[in-house]
Amino acid sequence: MAQPERRWYTGMLTTEDWWAVWLGVGFFFLSLFTLAGVDLVGWITYPTKWVFSPPPEGKGAIGHAFYALGKKYSVTAKGFYKGLGWWSVIWTYVIFTIATCIGAGAMKWNVKRFFVGWTIIYFLTIACWFIGHHAFIAANKLNMRQYGLNFALSLGGGGSFILALIVGLIIGNFFRGFARFLSEAAKPEWYIKTAIVTLGVKLGYLPIKLAGMSQKLGKEAAGLTFELFVAGAAATIVAYMIFWPGVYIISRKIFNLPRKTAAVLGSGISICGVSAAVATGGAVRAKPVVSIMVSALVVVWAVIELIILPGFYTHVWPTTKDPLVAGAAMGMSVKTDGADAAAGELMDEFMRNKIEVETNGAVKWPAGIITSSAVMTKVWIDMFIGIWAFVLAMVWVYRIERRPGEKVPASEVWHRFPKFVLGYFFCWFFLLALYFGPGQSGAPEAMPFLKSVKAGAVPIEKGMRKLFFMLTFMSLGIITDFKKLREAQFGKMVWVYFVSLFFFIIPVAALIAYLFHHGMQIPNIAGYVKP
Amino acid sequence: MKRLVFKITHNGREWVVRNESMTLSSPTLDELDIRMGELLRERGEIGQGERVRVIMEFDSSSIPQWIRQYTHHYFDRVVEIEG
Amino acid sequence: MAEEVKQKKEISGTGSLTGEALEAEDVLAGAEEWDPVETKLVLWSFVIAIIALIIGLLVVPTSVFN
Repeated sequence: MAQPERRWYTGMLTTEDWWAVWLGVGFFFLSLFTLAGVDLVGWITYPTKWVFSPPPEGKGAIGHAFYALGKKYSVTAKGFYKGLGWWSVIWTYVIFTIATCIGAGAMKWNVKRFFVGWTIIYFLTIACWFIGHHAFIAANKLNMRQYGLNFALSLGGGGSFILALIVGLIIGNFFRGFARFLSEAAKPEWYIKTAIVTLGVKLGYLPIKLAGMSQKLGKEAAGLTFELFVAGAAATIVAYMIFWPGVYIISRKIFNLPRKTAAVLGSGISICGVSAAVATGGAVRAKPVVSIMVSALVVVWAVIELIILPGFYTHVWPTTKDPLVAGAAMGMSVKTDGADAAAGELMDEFMRNKIEVETNGAVKWPAGIITSSAVMTKVWIDMFIGIWAFVLAMVWVYRIERRPGEKVPASEVWHRFPKFVLGYFFCWFFLLALYFGPGQSGAPEAMPFLKSVKAGAVPIEKGMRKLFFMLTFMSLGIITDFKKLREAQFGKMVWVYFVSLFFFIIPVAALIAYLFHHGMQIPNIAGYVKP
Repeated sequence: MKRLVFKITHNGREWVVRNESMTLSSPTLDELDIRMGELLRERGEIGQGERVRVIMEFDSSSIPQWIRQYTHHYFDRVVEIEG
Repeated sequence: MAEEVKQKKEISGTGSLTGEALEAEDVLAGAEEWDPVETKLVLWSFVIAIIALIIGLLVVPTSVFN
């Protein structure tokens, strides 16, 4: 029997990449039932700030710390979802458990182990989400009095992310046996790819949301997302073509590494981390161990960047003066989609809180735009690696190694294409089509229609997206073992990474992000939302 | 052109190529391609002057599972061998 | 032969290509001489970057030039 050949559709049911699309787009489609008057996604849970003893006239009852988003946004089933309260945590668990276990089964994982690991990770995540929303952590000086507090850390939702990462890192570094047990379900890339698909919903929903405040704001938001798309593409191509040869030269000339290792490191450090290291390893026909070693380093360094950069960009440079420069720079600096999107989301929380406090509430930014700028450059990078790997393969096969008879098939570009990106763009453009089409660009007569779209979109872009971000933080921590950096076999590579990242990649990324994003403004919604 | 499809992976020392009917291994890809040509000629899979397209698809299942979530494609090699 | 069979079993379907399990020394050692084709590769990358930068700065509406 002949070996079946790989086709363009191979892996559609067996890879995380495609399963991120199925999960994200699947729940997005469920959300569209609101257009027919049926709300199928209002059960998705969301936390709110709480305190142990709320003041009599204030907010923050612990019994309301979690609620079903349908309670606030549903058009047709508000009453039902209002009654769920904390039970929404269980509804969310059951429904996402079924969905992810189907995915795990299709990908031929050990479903029983995945189920147990997922359950533990889910409830640990919910616990961090809950604790991170204690008003002492999440409130700021403008709203802390509502909770009867005189001081608050002003971390917004960022406190929950940090907590999830810390808990994950403690498990990953001090309870290694437990971390191994959880590894079947600790899949930060799967979760973040799913979250990025739902970020597509966020991008498409943004003009709809702002149109609800004013038609002009809605149009501004649609324009801004398009500008991010174009600026992100240009910045990425420039950064790419500077980063790769730069790190290649550093690896070859300063650290005297072999050609193939330098090429793989060049991609791993400078482009999109693990996927670039694997794609380049394959392209230059390196032994897989090269890519695997580089990948093991990438995931650890990416988490170090995730810890350092959001705070640095928020408080040192470019601060709230240029938030989208910071976002774009993040996307080009932090390797791996998970760490980058997580860092972008953390910075989104930090910056929104900072600007609100700095201006005493006169400026408020909608959530998710800074995250989107960080993800936009990363998505372009992810798409471009397939093309760059194809070019490298041709250089290696036809010029450097000149192996007789070997051809480089163009299908490699497709096989390396990140499929979750399709889900991201699909959701974004689908909602944009609704906004510009039946939504009449936010005209007052189309508001009832746009309100129905909103009822479905919010649970996905807010609840599901944040949950999958939280799961990403937790899983990233669990799989990150800092001991890897001490392993002797990595010695030289750790230093190449350090020098390249901090003295070359991060500064150049910031400069390029500045050239293409300087001065871009996030719409101010302070006049339209409750303080 | 006749096509033969194989799975390829690396065992730490050698590249290993296999399908249902044969397995071949070699420390370098250059040597692997030469031995592949010899073997196909020996087995009569290529006639005199005939060209065969040998497709070596990387066995994604040998990539560690923690890496597969980032990407699952290493490479597919296509080598044209003449009889 | 038996060892070979066992090894084949190990590498199939188990995701057993781990950094720890494989020989890693030659990943870092044995750097080849710098080849002119490498000069071409890095120079062309930089040239493309500069061209993309100039076009980008002129065309992208949010660039500092605009």
